[in-house]
Amino acid sequence: AAAGGLRRAGWRLWRGRAVVRCQQCPPLRALQASAALRRASDEHKKEPLASSSQQHFESPPAGHQPEQKPQGPHPSYTGQGGQESEDYESEEQLQHRILTAALEFVPEHGWTAEAIAEGAKTLGLSVAAAGLFHSDGSELILHFVSECNTKLSELLKKEQKLVQLGEAEKKPIDEFLRDAVEARLRMLIPYIEKWPQALSVLLLPRNIPSSLSLLSSMIDDIWHYAGDQSTDLNWYTRRAVLTGIYNTTELVMMQDSSPGFQDTWRFLHNRVADAMTMSNTASQVQSTGEAVVQGLMGAAVTVSN
Amino acid sequence: CRCRALLSRPAGALRARRGLAAGPEMHFGFQTVTEEERREKIYQVFETVAKKYDVMNDSMTLGIHRVWKDILMHKMNPCPGTLLLDVAGGTGDIAFRFINYVRSVRQRQLQRKLKHHQNLSWQEIFESYQKDKFNSLGDSQVVVCDINREMLKVGKQKAQHLGYSEGLSWVLGNAEELPFDDEKFDVYTIAFGIRNVTRIDLALQEAYRVLKPGGRFLCLEFSHVSNPLLSRLYDLYSFQVIPVLGEVIAGDWKSYQYLVESIRQFPPQEELKAMIEDAGFFKVDYENLNFGIVAIHSGFKL
Repeated sequence: AAAGGLRRAGWRLWRGRAVVRCQQCPPLRALQASAALRRASDEHKKEPLASSSQQHFESPPAGHQPEQKPQGPHPSYTGQGGQESEDYESEEQLQHRILTAALEFVPEHGWTAEAIAEGAKTLGLSVAAAGLFHSDGSELILHFVSECNTKLSELLKKEQKLVQLGEAEKKPIDEFLRDAVEARLRMLIPYIEKWPQALSVLLLPRNIPSSLSLLSSMIDDIWHYAGDQSTDLNWYTRRAVLTGIYNTTELVMMQDSSPGFQDTWRFLHNRVADAMTMSNTASQVQSTGEAVVQGLMGAAVTVSN
Repeated sequence: CRCRALLSRPAGALRARRGLAAGPEMHFGFQTVTEEERREKIYQVFETVAKKYDVMNDSMTLGIHRVWKDILMHKMNPCPGTLLLDVAGGTGDIAFRFINYVRSVRQRQLQRKLKHHQNLSWQEIFESYQKDKFNSLGDSQVVVCDINREMLKVGKQKAQHLGYSEGLSWVLGNAEELPFDDEKFDVYTIAFGIRNVTRIDLALQEAYRVLKPGGRFLCLEFSHVSNPLLSRLYDLYSFQVIPVLGEVIAGDWKSYQYLVESIRQFPPQEELKAMIEDAGFFKVDYENLNFGIVAIHSGFKL
């Protein structure tokens, strides 16, 4: 019994190194988890590419005896197609790859298990690998959203670098927000036909925590790169306003049939302008209010005297 | 291949862990027999019950076994083009459900395709109907493999009676040594059969061998109930009612006594999960149905 337990523990240590790390984070969906996955795959890339699969799994579990190798048929020895890739990555990474491959089949099949099955086929895996995920395609959609958010972050970071190096002008806030939201929404264009289905799946109670966290982290990112450093109530109101703008623009985009989505971008322009006006008005109202109060106080003092 | 089976002989640790003697002593229900005797006895059990197998299933489980098998099929969620190997699938319950499921998925697929093709000429519509009439299963196939000739015979008769002809094959074979090449199947199922396999670890290794990379292993089997009250009721029902039903309906007390005892001897959910992981499967998980009376174990060959 002890031998069996030890063998299983050894197996898990070997193959589960990255998996354990990922198991400690929330599932694949949130941005934090996908950052962890990239770290794992970067580590693998740094290792000498010439290493055989056996060499690879002997090095990480430091201090583990070679005779702890699991017996019987095992992926690393057979070196067959899809199994060989398992040596270099965890299950999470394989799932990630399958979902990425599945995205190109979404325009045809929708956000369904069928698209995932086709994606698995292109990677050389059996169509049954779609069983790794839920049959309603939630994971596929969340994966896509998280990928889009990552792309947006990278885009904004690049722009910021250009501004820091002095090669570009710093944009005014409303233009910055407009461009960021437009860039993010443009990523939906290839999938626009099936996006309403995706939105409805994201609203399922099961998916709401993940989709909400992805949305809020994206909005937070945009404001961060816009240079927001507020520490008071403004922090919340700004994010709430931008979330509102983003969601409404997305909905407008769903039923927009104008060429190049002109109506959507015009709508976005107007909403951002409204938001700016609103914040100006708010500060004006505040200062007017203060002035009025001061005036009243002065009048009261005068009268009392 | 066979040499892999030989290499795995140091599974003495496996058997020791399961509390069985290191020799060829195995359990047959609550009796102790040798491996060979066990295989023979089980063969005889199923030979005798073959004709009344379906009727007995319905009466013992009050028809709930149909729901269990439907749940298994929904969990599998096969798409057209899947190759299924149903081991110990004697009378074909899983195979028929698979064909029905795939057929309906294929129908929906075809309807969706037609909806997208607006403005087709009559000629094109005619051609698309022709093409798809010969492809109502979308190239899906199921191979039913069973060690018992009688069970296969009953299954074939049922298929004929119910009108299932295409996409179905019947093969006589032993789960511990499958007569198929490596990496042939997308899904491997064994419903209420793995309990009767003498060397479960060999069956799991064979399952691993014949599955394609990315393929799925699904096992539907009676398992252990953890809830103590329910467990007592379940034991009462199993040992008092089922053998009686067996005698009354099928005229065979002993086979059903064996059935009930073999359920008690089978490893519980976690242990079976560990065995499946040992065979090399990833993402192994189980789902209890009816509080553990039945459990579906699932694993992937990644």
